[in-house]
Amino acid sequence: MFAELKELWRFRELLFSMVQRDLKIRYKNSFLGFLWSLLNPLITVLTMTVVFKVIMGNKMPNLGAYIFAAYLPYMFFQLCLLDSSQTILLNIQLIKKIYFPREILPLASAISNFIHFLLGLLVLFLFLLVVYIGFPGPNGVRIWPFHSSIVVLPVLLFMSFCLATGFSFLISAANTFYEDVKYIVAVILYLMFFICPIMYFSEQVYYCDANKANPWLYRLYYLNPIATLCNAYRRSILAPQPVPLKGITYPAIGMDWKYVAIAFVVSVGVLLIGYHVFNRLKWRFVERP
Amino acid sequence: MSPTIAIKGLRKEFRLSHTGSIKTALLWWKKRKIERLEVLRGIDLEVLPGECVAVIGRNGAGKSTMLSLLARVYKPTSGSVEVKGRIAPLLELGAGFHPDLTGIENIFFNGIILGLTRQEIRTRMDRIIAFSELERHIDSPVRTYSSGMLARLGFSVAMHVDAEVLLIDEVLAVGDFEFEQKCFAKIDHFKTDGGTILFVSHEMPDVRRVATRCVWLNKGVIRAEGDPEEIIPLYEGGDRAPGVTP
Repeated sequence: MFAELKELWRFRELLFSMVQRDLKIRYKNSFLGFLWSLLNPLITVLTMTVVFKVIMGNKMPNLGAYIFAAYLPYMFFQLCLLDSSQTILLNIQLIKKIYFPREILPLASAISNFIHFLLGLLVLFLFLLVVYIGFPGPNGVRIWPFHSSIVVLPVLLFMSFCLATGFSFLISAANTFYEDVKYIVAVILYLMFFICPIMYFSEQVYYCDANKANPWLYRLYYLNPIATLCNAYRRSILAPQPVPLKGITYPAIGMDWKYVAIAFVVSVGVLLIGYHVFNRLKWRFVERP
Repeated sequence: MSPTIAIKGLRKEFRLSHTGSIKTALLWWKKRKIERLEVLRGIDLEVLPGECVAVIGRNGAGKSTMLSLLARVYKPTSGSVEVKGRIAPLLELGAGFHPDLTGIENIFFNGIILGLTRQEIRTRMDRIIAFSELERHIDSPVRTYSSGMLARLGFSVAMHVDAEVLLIDEVLAVGDFEFEQKCFAKIDHFKTDGGTILFVSHEMPDVRRVATRCVWLNKGVIRAEGDPEEIIPLYEGGDRAPGVTP
């Protein structure tokens, strides 16, 4: 693995310009350009907030921000994994003709998605400031949106990047040989959205009847590193709030460090395994039948 | 003088399985025997600095595979390939060009793939554009280029990366007469500077014009090698040519 990393370092300039090319091409022929990547989550979150507030009657103050904070990291996974499935196949003509470390392709795709993610977080912070200044809560009480737990955000970003890149390596390599993989990934990601705490709250999982009967449900739920990460982002950026559920208001649950630690180990593990598998298979890409 | 390119006992085998969906991979009891195609069956070749070696042979003889192996696109099945110095592969026109980027952006990108830094490309930019004669189109997206223009841009970038080894696979045929002459002049210059060239061609006049040595590849082995004036008549004489031991 070290020889491969050394070779990758030698080609760092190529990686850098691949990312640049990726960002440039993505919106080159569209009028709104880069704004599309920021507009998309905003519109989604707005729709979800309206549906939950108006139709489902969720009384949680500042609900939009809570959805936004968990939706952004999820969207990063989704886009990263879906994009990665095609990276090798889209560039197969290139890798058939010129040598460069093949891992640059999924890596560049992951990095450019990560940059979009960071910009999305920036939009979230702007959104929080706008809400704080412009829309005070009930009784005119303003809740300062940022609090000290935001210091763990870099760690969460690192975990997200490792996890998404590791899966990108695995998926891009697998999809090169079996193109069914991208459809399977799309279905899994679609379903994953519902079993991650994005549209609802972690407390709702913890206090639900099923979990009261079988307490392992909550543990199983958070063994999924993506669910843990979505929840951790929400808790590091926003203050935990009591959650109203079926007429009873349940107390907020703080950051659950045990599951974050498990997710950390899983994320780094996925990256290492993904990189190893990719390197084992990368020479066979060009000989794809 | 130590050789720039050293090929020893090079073999390359491809698998001819027809999988492509998970279904065929999962149906293990229906698995057919994987067919193997041996494209190169033991090649030994050394090329010295300043040499220009032409590889000739029929379609499917393994010429392009050999060039791809030198360009490190494939890994050898067995044997070894050693190349000293930077390689500029011209295996296909416009490989590495992105249709939506402009000529200049593509020069940067292609130059970086070939191992230059941004700064090095910046200092060469004017020469690359001048050689390609594409001043008027260099800010247009490459998708608007004709195949001749792509050939000129690709060749121009490859010639300006200060490579020690140039690998050319029949890409010079698209340029017009004048550009072809310019390319040959550049190739001559490259040779006298001590660069090494390996090129595949079906155009015997081109082979006679630039090659210092000729290698006839037939069914994955070197059938004959030597002076182009000796080898070309043998090759053109076909399999029944006298004096050739298969």
